[in-house]
Amino acid sequence: MNDALHQLLQNPRIWRGTGQAELSDWQGLASGYPRLDRHLPGGGWPKQALTEILLEHYGSGELKLLMPALARLSQVDDSSDKGVDSAAGWIAWIAPPFEPYPPALLQWGVNLSRVLIVRPKNSSESLWAAEQALASGNCAAVLLWSEKLDDSASRRLQLAAEKGQSWAIAFRSLNALSEASAAALRIKVTAGINGTDLGIVKSRGGRPAVVHDYAAALDQYPI
Amino acid sequence: MPPANKSPATAGGSPTPPVKEQQSFSLELPVVKTAGSIRTPASTAPRVTPATRLWLCIHLPALPLEALHRGEDVARAVFDDQDGIPKVLLASDAARSAGIRPGFSVNAALALLPELELEQRDSQCERRTLLSLAGWAEQFTSFVSVAAPAVLLLELAGSVRLFAGLQKLRDTVSEGLGGQGFSASLAIAPTPLAATWLAKAGRRICIQDTANLTSTLSALPLTCLDWPLTVTESLYGMGLSRLGDCLRLPRQGFAKRFGAGRLLELDRAVGRLPDPRVSYRTPERFITDYELEDELSDSKLILNACELLLQKLEQFLLVRQLAVQRIRFSFFHLQYPATSLSLGCVQADRAVKHWFELLRIRFECLQLPAPTIAIRLRAGQGQPAAAKTDVLQFTKKDKGRSDLSIVHLIERLGARLGDELVHGVSTVAEHRPQYAWRPELILDRLPSYEAMPALENTRRPLWMLAEPQPLAVREGKPVYQGVLTLEDGPERLETGWWDDAGIARDYFVAANPKGARFWVYRNRGKETGWYLHGIFG
Repeated sequence: MNDALHQLLQNPRIWRGTGQAELSDWQGLASGYPRLDRHLPGGGWPKQALTEILLEHYGSGELKLLMPALARLSQVDDSSDKGVDSAAGWIAWIAPPFEPYPPALLQWGVNLSRVLIVRPKNSSESLWAAEQALASGNCAAVLLWSEKLDDSASRRLQLAAEKGQSWAIAFRSLNALSEASAAALRIKVTAGINGTDLGIVKSRGGRPAVVHDYAAALDQYPI
Repeated sequence: MPPANKSPATAGGSPTPPVKEQQSFSLELPVVKTAGSIRTPASTAPRVTPATRLWLCIHLPALPLEALHRGEDVARAVFDDQDGIPKVLLASDAARSAGIRPGFSVNAALALLPELELEQRDSQCERRTLLSLAGWAEQFTSFVSVAAPAVLLLELAGSVRLFAGLQKLRDTVSEGLGGQGFSASLAIAPTPLAATWLAKAGRRICIQDTANLTSTLSALPLTCLDWPLTVTESLYGMGLSRLGDCLRLPRQGFAKRFGAGRLLELDRAVGRLPDPRVSYRTPERFITDYELEDELSDSKLILNACELLLQKLEQFLLVRQLAVQRIRFSFFHLQYPATSLSLGCVQADRAVKHWFELLRIRFECLQLPAPTIAIRLRAGQGQPAAAKTDVLQFTKKDKGRSDLSIVHLIERLGARLGDELVHGVSTVAEHRPQYAWRPELILDRLPSYEAMPALENTRRPLWMLAEPQPLAVREGKPVYQGVLTLEDGPERLETGWWDDAGIARDYFVAANPKGARFWVYRNRGKETGWYLHGIFG
């Protein structure tokens, strides 16, 4: 292949069907589940963008999905080319429906001294808090539980995530599947008797897919 | 006071007329004879200076106790670690009447008086109290000096006239101190050291002339000098027990034996040598006003005015190299009392943009009852600001993720949502699942603690319900969004009997037909019902 063609193909705006784009900006945050990583562009979670998790009821394994990545973010700095001041990133939980249980977080390897829990009174305050946390650049990941997340709100979260170079995760109910959203990745979580299935509904740079029992063959993780 | 004359031979003591040279620019200063000046005999003793200053010494012997609590009639004692054993340092009157003396060990004191309240000595608190007293004493004189851990020196010569007499001035000071609850001993002398020693000896004495000084000092015991024990022991060994004995010793021998420093101390006390002291000044506070031409209710314009005030504050702090932790805005209205808005910051800061951000967030929630006519900004105590070294930022990636900016984020979130709703977590060594963790206020200390090691061999759910939820039971099985099947368990937890919140439970991991997993438990004992406690997220 001659150089001009090679150069052209390096442009990130060109979507190459099955080949992964090899630019570092597209490198995803490894999720810790190889079955899932295979279907995600960049081999992992989109780093500076909004991910939406749609679930029917709590307990489907939605947190378990994120735990390895969150544990890694809170322990070490993710960008390795920093020489100065590489502190671990904070994980902010905004308006969680129940209490995140610290001993369990500890079992998954999350650094508890980098966990921040915020309990706003209503959804507009939750959105404001999420935007502040994302844009500040300190929080490596922000988890938001909000019923009302319309298109403009998700776009604002996406912009704030890009500005602060943080990873935004929004949890919504399955009814929101039909709504439009500016998220870079939308995953539907359905729990079944034979393990949890993930449906990748929307993926920027990738293709929709279904991952059956994503956590199979991983017995080193608790539960 | 005019300085001593330059011409050497005034051995006769006759007054020299003032020299006035009008024609040429002479540096010769006019000579005026001062009342009480001593001639210079041909001896080696240095000149004695006249009593031009009067020093009032306030000695607070019970400061460790009074700094913590004042004016209460409770049996209380302050203890300190002496040679590794906590011993009573000072006891209140009520404790002393019960028989507690300084030097008792803490155990002995508690055995003697079980309801004695003991507190550890707090030197920081003592220092703060002393400095605040120095600030209070500034109303009597312009020169206040803080000496030693419990001594204040006031220079009174200039204030005697204003307060209509030395006696009255001393009585005012004494009453003021008594009113605040301090037990102090006062003494007035021409030199600061003499005043200190007299006050420490407990003499309520007032010496105005240096001639009487030596004779009064001579009667003082050696304990009020605060010299090390070895020195006083050797002096006792020589048969000297009073200060007068030391003053009569030959100077060179004394200096050789005990050091030239002690000799200089004696000279300074008697008045032979000057004893300059450093004056104490209360730190400056920032307060500024901004008056608007018209009444304003537009929040944007009010915020602009506030920003100007913040810039003035920043300039003030920058020049003095200080930073503040607390500032207060007062918004004045014509017909209403002023509205005040306090902002606080964990780490003392002076950047305008940070304070303005906090102000803007708090201002949104603030309802001003009427249009504003004037704004006042008052800043709290300034602290010396530590300079922060920063890194040159070339690329976007070098954005500093320092601990300081997480504090800013938490303050912003707390300002809008409420400070107690933003917190971190930590684990507690506790078997009861509900109490195995607690929220931590991050602003109190930036957590970088070592967490407890994770539990082995057991699974804990990622979601915990604040209160366990009772479950309906169908055919002996608990029901939550479907009939639950128990998968793993039981894990028996029986603990907490020493509190009122003892538990005796069997915990199970249960799955419902949809595949969700829950952490349920059943009480052992009287009420056997199924409860949902956690959800395996």
